[in-house]
Amino acid sequence: MSRRPAPSPRGARTHRTRSSSRLRGWLRHHRAMCLDSAWRLLRTPVSSLVTMLAIAIAMVLPAGLWLTLDSARLLDAELTESATLTAYLAPGVGDGEAARIDEALGAQPGVARTRLITAAEGMAEFQQALGLEDALGRLDDNPLPASVVVTPEAPAPEAARALAESLAAVPGVEEVRLDLAWIERLRSLAELGQRVTLALAVLFGGGVLLVVGNTIRLAVESRRKEIEVVTLIGATHGFVRRPFLYSGAWYGLGGGLLAWGLLTLGGEWLATPVSALAASYGASFSLPRLGVGGSAFLVGCSMLLGWLGAWMAVSRHLAEVKPR
Amino acid sequence: MIVFEHVGKRYGGRFEALANLDFRVHRGEMLFLTGHSGAGKSSLLRLIMRLERPTRGRILVAGHDIDRLHPSQVPFYRRQIGVVFQDHQLLHDRSIFHNVALPLTIQGVEPRESARRVRAALDKVGLLHREKALPIELSGGEQQRVGIARAVVNKPALLLADEPTGNLDPQLSADIMALFEDFNRIGTTVMIASHDLALIARLQHRTLRLREGRLVGDREAA
Repeated sequence: MSRRPAPSPRGARTHRTRSSSRLRGWLRHHRAMCLDSAWRLLRTPVSSLVTMLAIAIAMVLPAGLWLTLDSARLLDAELTESATLTAYLAPGVGDGEAARIDEALGAQPGVARTRLITAAEGMAEFQQALGLEDALGRLDDNPLPASVVVTPEAPAPEAARALAESLAAVPGVEEVRLDLAWIERLRSLAELGQRVTLALAVLFGGGVLLVVGNTIRLAVESRRKEIEVVTLIGATHGFVRRPFLYSGAWYGLGGGLLAWGLLTLGGEWLATPVSALAASYGASFSLPRLGVGGSAFLVGCSMLLGWLGAWMAVSRHLAEVKPR
Repeated sequence: MIVFEHVGKRYGGRFEALANLDFRVHRGEMLFLTGHSGAGKSSLLRLIMRLERPTRGRILVAGHDIDRLHPSQVPFYRRQIGVVFQDHQLLHDRSIFHNVALPLTIQGVEPRESARRVRAALDKVGLLHREKALPIELSGGEQQRVGIARAVVNKPALLLADEPTGNLDPQLSADIMALFEDFNRIGTTVMIASHDLALIARLQHRTLRLREGRLVGDREAA
């Protein structure tokens, strides 16, 4: 058996060098196209700005709505937190008996805490609230029953309603009231708002795709000759697409940043009337700001849409641009 | 290098541009393709470049059936062929240097290596001193030489030229042909479509003659 010479490591190394140099070439082209496309945008500042503004306007509306809804959600959570049930005890239940029922209610599953309002306390509150101290003071008997204000553990309306039923079954409890209709109404409004926002986001996102797509289509048209030539001498589709994809991403970035600026300005502009309005209701409420994450999300979405719009436009036109 | 086996090409199902072509071109050969305009010279070159596909028969280039190339492989196939066009196909917003560098840029060649090869190619066609000029500043003959430099910068094994002397006067045409002969001398297979019969006759290379899409003459080199 003949001895085979040890395989030279040269082949493998050459191969590795070649593929790493190909990778470097690829990265170099990315860098070159990234800069080149930015430069092309800067060379036509007005038309680039118009495209970016169109993108920004399309991004602002859904983003602004989303922010408003977000604040409504915060408000909703706050209101739900304060949702309570009131268990009215049977008339004629004495204070000692009432305290015992209060304890029994507190021991029910799903109850966070309870507060007993004795008949006398109820009367006092009532008198204060109505300013009828004199008139009511003339009554011989206190007509008000004692009541227990129950804070549920789970403030969701469904859970609260189930709790109300179980509390009503406790002996000595005459009636349990929970007023959740307005919370439900608010929820429905929020749900409606969410759907409208989603629909608008989809529509306006489509708008961004069309705006970028049309701009890139014109760019492809104006560089048709170049595309033909590089295709003739062996450019891959990726190579041809690259500068346009970067252009799309730049448009998206510009549009996203402008949208962010518009939202911030709009927030400042609305802040004063909103806090004045909230103050008139005795609440402290301010418009939520786009945080770092929200801003990054907005700009990222815009860039992604720009890139996608460019991709669609170039792919469609690559099929059309055939070298003669 | 190139084998045509019963190759036919129809456009739109009716017009027969090429019919039953059968020939082979050996590695390192230089040959002309002649015939009147419309005889099918350009169609034949487009088939070799795989800009189009034959409706009949088979084309082998360097042993591969190019009709079987996957679309994603086509760019890599084209990189092995240098092509010179009658209308140069230069990019007018770029310098001569960048025009010639284009095939190397597409392949991601290192800038320093690329510059070295571009200057070597420009030197070969005698235009090294014009590397910073724009194509528009050059004469027709010079532009054609830039086109040739771009076609050979990648050292392709096969060089195709479609009417490379189409609009040039006889002296310039002879210079261009001499360039092709130089490349052929170092081993490049060269195929030139031309209807400049006087020039072809003088050069004494194998000549394929097409008429209405058929091969009507295959005169070997004298």
